Amino acid sequence: MNSRDGAPLGQGIARVGLILSLLFGLIAVGAGYWQVVRASELTRAPDNPLVIAAARDVVRGKILDRTGATLATNRKDANGEPYRVYTDRSLAPLIGYASPVYGTAGLERAYNAQLSGQGSPNSLDDLLSKLAPGAAQGDDLTLSLSLKLQEAAVKALGSDRGAVVMLDPRTGRVLAMASTPTFNANAIANPVTAVAAFNRTAAAAGQPFLDRATMGEYVPGSVFKIVTSVAALGSGAISASTTYPQQPAAEQTGLLISGFRVHDAHHDFTGSLALDYDQAIEVSCNIYFALTGLRTGGAALSDWAGRLGFGAPIPFDLPTAVSQVTNGGGSFGGGFKDDVELANAAYGQAETLVTPLQMALVAATVANNGVLMRPELVTSIGGPNGNQSIGPQALRTVMSSGVASTIGDAMGLAVESPWGRIFTTGAAVAGIPTAGKTGTAQLGGSAEPNSWFIGYAPANNPQVAIAVVVEQGGHGSARAAPIAGSLMTLWLKTLNP
Amino acid sequence: MTARVGARPPRAVPRLQPRLRRRETGLLVLVGLIVVLGSVSLGVTKRQLAGQSLTWLPADGGQLAIYLGALLVAHLALVLAGRRSDQVLLPTIGLLGGISLLLMERLPQSLVTQSRAGRSFGRASIQLGWLLLAIGVIAITAIGVRSDAWLRRYKYTWAAAGIVLLLLTFLFGNETNGALLTITVGPFSGQPTELIKVVLVIFLAGYLSDFRPLLVSASMRLGPLRLPPVPYLLPMLAMWAMALGIVVIQRDLGAALLFFAVFLALVYIATNRASYVVLGLLLFVLGSVIAYQLFGTVRDRVDIWFNPFVDASGKGYQVVQSLYAFGRGGIIGTGLGAGLPLVAGRLPIPAIHTDFPFAALGEELGLIGVVAILGLYLVLIERGLRVAASAADDFRALLAAGLTLVVGVQAFIIAAGNLKLIPLTGVTLPFISYGGSSLLANGVVVGLLLALSDQGVEPPPPPRPKRGRRPAFLGGTPHGAR
Repeated sequence: MNSRDGAPLGQGIARVGLILSLLFGLIAVGAGYWQVVRASELTRAPDNPLVIAAARDVVRGKILDRTGATLATNRKDANGEPYRVYTDRSLAPLIGYASPVYGTAGLERAYNAQLSGQGSPNSLDDLLSKLAPGAAQGDDLTLSLSLKLQEAAVKALGSDRGAVVMLDPRTGRVLAMASTPTFNANAIANPVTAVAAFNRTAAAAGQPFLDRATMGEYVPGSVFKIVTSVAALGSGAISASTTYPQQPAAEQTGLLISGFRVHDAHHDFTGSLALDYDQAIEVSCNIYFALTGLRTGGAALSDWAGRLGFGAPIPFDLPTAVSQVTNGGGSFGGGFKDDVELANAAYGQAETLVTPLQMALVAATVANNGVLMRPELVTSIGGPNGNQSIGPQALRTVMSSGVASTIGDAMGLAVESPWGRIFTTGAAVAGIPTAGKTGTAQLGGSAEPNSWFIGYAPANNPQVAIAVVVEQGGHGSARAAPIAGSLMTLWLKTLNP
Repeated sequence: MTARVGARPPRAVPRLQPRLRRRETGLLVLVGLIVVLGSVSLGVTKRQLAGQSLTWLPADGGQLAIYLGALLVAHLALVLAGRRSDQVLLPTIGLLGGISLLLMERLPQSLVTQSRAGRSFGRASIQLGWLLLAIGVIAITAIGVRSDAWLRRYKYTWAAAGIVLLLLTFLFGNETNGALLTITVGPFSGQPTELIKVVLVIFLAGYLSDFRPLLVSASMRLGPLRLPPVPYLLPMLAMWAMALGIVVIQRDLGAALLFFAVFLALVYIATNRASYVVLGLLLFVLGSVIAYQLFGTVRDRVDIWFNPFVDASGKGYQVVQSLYAFGRGGIIGTGLGAGLPLVAGRLPIPAIHTDFPFAALGEELGLIGVVAILGLYLVLIERGLRVAASAADDFRALLAAGLTLVVGVQAFIIAAGNLKLIPLTGVTLPFISYGGSSLLANGVVVGLLLALSDQGVEPPPPPRPKRGRRPAFLGGTPHGAR
């Protein structure tokens, strides 16, 4: 029993000790990661109990628009307890609410930590605040948004459900982000009326709480042809002069793909002319883009759409829904099921779903010479320790400026040329060259299609990019294009001349 | 004071000869100072939050005095017993236990209460009771265990006892958080896995020391691996099957991981052959894949581990809240009593006192405190492995190493789980988590380590003439034999 066969055990014991020491060192590194590297991010999470607790005690910071106009501030009730007051209900789906009963939503939720004074951006401040805890003070948020443009956008949508996103393509800064129907955030923020107002809004038709601009997922219809263009021209699958000999005949009979017929038949006047790229955009030819999609291939289409922001949440100040070209899982390439799905997706039908914000970014990227800017709503956070400005940030160069200008020229023709004007009535800003693309997204059955427009102006020096969707608004030219035209006109000629 | 457990008093045992333990005294004074400081800090914060005036007094002077008094008594007992055992282990455990007591005083008392004889006790009082018992167990085991014969001779009896305990848990276990963990006998309930881990180590030490020559010498080639012939592999397969059984029947992933890791480490120490570890890891991966495919619990744990933030208010809630707690703590922590913000009157992390004390301490003591606590466990591991390395024979070396590993690996599993380094499993943080079974079992572990260390730390006394019939008494073999 006491015999010592073999080598002594000391070596194995030492090695096991060494491994355990390394493992404990790993724990210390892990603790350092969460407690130092990720600490401020974790501590600012909206559902962090510290933020929730602080939000009850602290007077929240104000929210201001680009001109300094107040969008959200505080008032005191009979007991001297502060509650939130909002300037205009056009902001409700975007800014959300801070309610004593229902917590926070929208921008109030995303920036809860900063608004309630818990968002110190550097860990040194955190360290000092722990040594000398005191009453926190909420930080003010300044947005790039224009209150007047926002009000005009909601007014333009009227009683329809839909969304408008306007941004500066050069910086990605959001100028307006409207979603209808809106709701009365004041009533939810007011402790007296909160319960009744919340229940009424939650039960209301049209889901007023849903911020359609960031979270609404729509069939894009023909506005998606711009995404297909980026993929086809960017990958070199087609050039601006590409034509398809079979296209004119297919206009009459439909294009047969694996037993499925792609129909078009909305531009009889082109007759037997084989359209080139510009002309196909001008008249919004489905068959041209179905063929282009097949030539580009599913993998390339998915890949280029991904560079534009599809397939992942868009980095933004608010949570965003993910836009998709296909619901994936197919084996045809890029997740498509087969060539029929790919052909239909290429002109914006099939399983393609997009958010208005994503489509505004598509227009803005074309306008900005192919460079995608991170969309940005909060431009500065002002606190007792001074202002922290948030500058523009380029996410990536999606395509070459040559490809961007080819697409931009075609979008210009789509708004300004005699053929294009048939489909984009009302989109042009008078006296300023405008570029754009309409969409008429079929929903199946007898429902009216969704009406879409994306574009930008001035075409030669873009200052504003826009996406408009009106649910069941009919053809793109019927509702979305005129709204876009009037809002871009308001911005370029009146608000920001 | 010198109750002798299971040993016939040999004639050679000297009379009671007190021996000063200066190092232990010094370290215990330090531990006392730290715990008193912590208690004062907690007291000041508590009274400030309650709107009371500032007084520089401990949070609960009575409990503090009782606890430190118990440590002193244990120390004096060791001094009087005159044994040359390790002098660092008791202060280390003393500090860990002190931190535990402060944490339990800091958490709301109402969450755990027990009524005995018409009085109701809060969380801290109950934990104090268990801590006192654990210190008692440590002292009695350290002084009383004078022979390891009863441990090494009956290894299969120990194995059988372990299996019976396991079966009892399978058959009569109560479910806690989806796992069969506790058995209740009359007014008492306990977690047998805590005891099983000790029994298992005793068995493994006996088994491996007996069969070590065979395991080392015989070999069979399997691809790139040199393995012993199949019969010698059976224990490994049995161990693997048992770990898998614990996962399947008890759904106790933490215990399974702990048992298997300690087993592999001991096999490696005994054989010094990496091929066993490789084979064991392959079996581990295989078992994990099977468990992942078959059991929703396992799948949930792994999915949560990959990204708890996906379902931060649902399945990932505990882990996300744990990470938030670490984040709030930052480098220096909020201070005892100043963290863990209540949400609607509830603590931010469910099961904080059993499964997440590390996160709570991470918040209130900060990264500095976390590193200090990790350091305490490393001290414990270093002392334990030192005892193992200088043990007189294979059995005692493997026993000491195994006892050290069950505590060390368990601390790693739960600390790493709290920090999302590995999937979260519900084992206790040794000497800190709330709970009697864990404290008592770990008390036995440390007591045995102290007993085994009897000759290891200080130079041995001048060699005495060897006598024929001194089989395996502690302090028997001259130290110079190594």
